[in-house]
Amino acid sequence: MEASSNANDFIGIAIAAYGIEADEIELAVMRAAHEMFWPPILELLDLDNSEAPVEPTPDLSRAPEER
Amino acid sequence: MNEALDLSLREQTRAIAAGETDAGELLEATLRRIEERNPTLNAVVETFPERSREMLAAAPQGPLHGVPVVIKDEWPLPWRAQRFGAADMLADSAPGESGPYRALRDAGAVIVGVGNMHELGASSTGNVSVYGPARNPWSTERCPGGSSSGPASAVAARLVAGAVGADGIGSIRYPAAYCGLTGLKPTFGRSAMAGHHMAEVSSTIVSGPLCADAADCRLLASVLYGEELRGGEVQGLRIGVIRDEVSEDVAPAVREACEAAVEDLRRETGGEVREIELPELAAATLATVLIANGESLNNVTRERLNHLDPELSPLGRGLLKYRILLPAAATVKSAQLRAIARRRLAAVFADVDVIAWPTVPAVAPPLEAPLVELPSGTLTADQANVRGGALANLTGIPAVSVPVGNSQGLPIALQLQGAWGRDELLLDAAEVLERANGRRWVDALPPLAADVLEA
Repeated sequence: MEASSNANDFIGIAIAAYGIEADEIELAVMRAAHEMFWPPILELLDLDNSEAPVEPTPDLSRAPEER
Repeated sequence: MNEALDLSLREQTRAIAAGETDAGELLEATLRRIEERNPTLNAVVETFPERSREMLAAAPQGPLHGVPVVIKDEWPLPWRAQRFGAADMLADSAPGESGPYRALRDAGAVIVGVGNMHELGASSTGNVSVYGPARNPWSTERCPGGSSSGPASAVAARLVAGAVGADGIGSIRYPAAYCGLTGLKPTFGRSAMAGHHMAEVSSTIVSGPLCADAADCRLLASVLYGEELRGGEVQGLRIGVIRDEVSEDVAPAVREACEAAVEDLRRETGGEVREIELPELAAATLATVLIANGESLNNVTRERLNHLDPELSPLGRGLLKYRILLPAAATVKSAQLRAIARRRLAAVFADVDVIAWPTVPAVAPPLEAPLVELPSGTLTADQANVRGGALANLTGIPAVSVPVGNSQGLPIALQLQGAWGRDELLLDAAEVLERANGRRWVDALPPLAADVLEA
């Protein structure tokens, strides 16, 4: 999905699907946010992390345990 | 008494303990100074003189006995619920004894006011708040940084010598950088968090100190950690630098000052500078935002979003409603990125002691239009700042922002990040930097404070 061309469609469909009500200003903010966030989110989703280690409940107060 | 007001946190503590300064007089003088200077700054959104006097009357002989401090509007107090800078914080809020409150009380400190913050903690600028924006004492038309905008503005203007903030994605370090302060983001889990409305769900937020210099941060952090952060000599410091947008897509004056500071640190410690690689940094930055987003929307329902307080800013309302649309799959990927970034950092910290890059890539932008000019073009301050601030929150490592220069009359800051639990080393290194430049930047006063002192 290309954010810049489809932001209007996406936001309209998404808020209808979720039952979210939004006024015109809120919709404008949502469209702008979508254009900013969606392309890098797509890149993130495309990353191949299949070899990535898993930390199901990481202890963020210390380094990851050696594997 | 004005002389005591302008002392450092540790000097105030020492003067009170030595009987040279009366804590009651210091409290009253602090309240008067807030009355005088705060209307220009909007740094402190509420004072409660009787509560403060009661705290002082009951204050134990702790490490901060009798010293006035400000606490961010993110922490409940027994007499006041936090508002999170917002008309609607989408979570229960009630008066209570938060962890930072207890730590300050038990150390003998006197909470003299609540610091402003960016609405819902959602920006690095501090330009939106239910109370109106806090202002930067270095230029009141500039952003003070966020989300701990009020604590930073209050300390920079010498309303108080120390303040407690919170850092979920850079929210202590950004305002410290914009306001010319030292700000410490602790290792995750080391500082008091009880009573925060997201304490049970957040994996990024920590409490931490904002003070003029590293020694004051060490004192206040020791109280928040519940353990003394001992100082030590730094020799042979291995400083990691990265050739990436976080250190290169930076305003020229910021780059120059930060590179000079890294060289100062290397020279003063007899250390070395090593280039490191963090290939996941950009993706990890987005991952931090997505994880924090998911955690902040915990238990937020459609009905709740459809009945937001109309006093919440339009930007805040729109972003909240957009954020709930983000796909869960992206959050799962973000958790994987977190694991990758943590392992990468564990390997990097086998080779270096600290990682250094600019805290923020440009000086404080205008309040009315928080945009920054970088070599790559014009970005919102948030887009630019998150590049350098997110990694520590994603992975749990500590980080400190240290003032290292000034451009256009506005502070420049270097960020040092260390391995998990090496908070003390970061403060030691920050003190080395202060000595290297003759304390030029940590002792610098903004015009608002300096003019009054000279008058």
